Amino acid sequence: MIRRAGIVLAVALFGFVFASLTVHHVERQSLPPLAKRYVELVPQELGAPNVITGILLTYRALDTLGEVAVLFMVAAGVGLVLGSRARRNENAPSDTPPSSRQASEIVRTGTQILVPLIAIFAAYIITNGHLSAGGGFQGGAVAASSAILLLLADPRQQFAQHFLSSTESAAGVLFVLVGIAGLLFAGGFLDNRVLPLGQFGTFFSAGAIPLLSVLLGAKVGCELSVIIDRFRA
Amino acid sequence: MAELIGSLLVLAGAVFHLSAGLGVWRMPDAYTRMQAGTKASTLGNTLVVGGIAFLHPDWTLKILLVVYFVLMTNPISSHALARAAHRIQVPMTPQTTVDALRDAREQSRGDA
Repeated sequence: MIRRAGIVLAVALFGFVFASLTVHHVERQSLPPLAKRYVELVPQELGAPNVITGILLTYRALDTLGEVAVLFMVAAGVGLVLGSRARRNENAPSDTPPSSRQASEIVRTGTQILVPLIAIFAAYIITNGHLSAGGGFQGGAVAASSAILLLLADPRQQFAQHFLSSTESAAGVLFVLVGIAGLLFAGGFLDNRVLPLGQFGTFFSAGAIPLLSVLLGAKVGCELSVIIDRFRA
Repeated sequence: MAELIGSLLVLAGAVFHLSAGLGVWRMPDAYTRMQAGTKASTLGNTLVVGGIAFLHPDWTLKILLVVYFVLMTNPISSHALARAAHRIQVPMTPQTTVDALRDAREQSRGDA
């Protein structure tokens, strides 16, 4: 009885909170000054229709680089904590533990159909980051979700660890090199105008943003896949 | 006209989503809940997104992809969840009398 009263009270409180949100909500008629400046500047200066990607990969690209570095630290930390345990398991007698049995046939067949689809979708998100919603981080996360699916279908799946880590390092180095090119040939570190801006709204436009997006997507996808791979039982 | 058809489809989809929610709420055990939630929400999703295709004809190709993706993933994930639940022996409601998966497993064990 008391529990039910508590639930009713919680629901009523939630209702009150959301009701007051809707009642007091006033739609903004104009952008705040900073946002307005960005909305005007990004298509004009950078030639990218997607303002957010323009900000993330040019004005705040140094922060993006920092975020990728944080993700790299996470991958390294997870590898440090879980990697040694995996190696110990290899030395243990190799009877298949119950957790590593294969998934059912439906899941395996579905995985075979879905993984290419997910990979194409990830590539689409990554390469269209400067035109529509998306970008390197999001696309990389989608790509890593196909790695999860592969692992779910067959927990004994082996990923090409060396390929993943070398791709990741190469993408990181190239990202910084593009940034340095911006320092030398354009307005500053990670300035996208090292490449021609092209026609506004087309696939090959917005200078170095698509390139940076692809590099970021490869890096994030590889990093997340490595992290997922470390977490397998 | 297309607007009317689209709106009706979205409404029909919403009704199926409602029935999915009701099913999850009313059904007695994990398996029947999963079944209610999956079947009704797959159809509901297809109808809602299909209705949107009528409202925005230029999105049709992308919407077809979304429908295909939902039709592929929703049943498979629910299948995997239900099998996992069966394997760790989540109890069934006493009204359930047939357990084909258990029977098949026992038979294959008997043959071996």
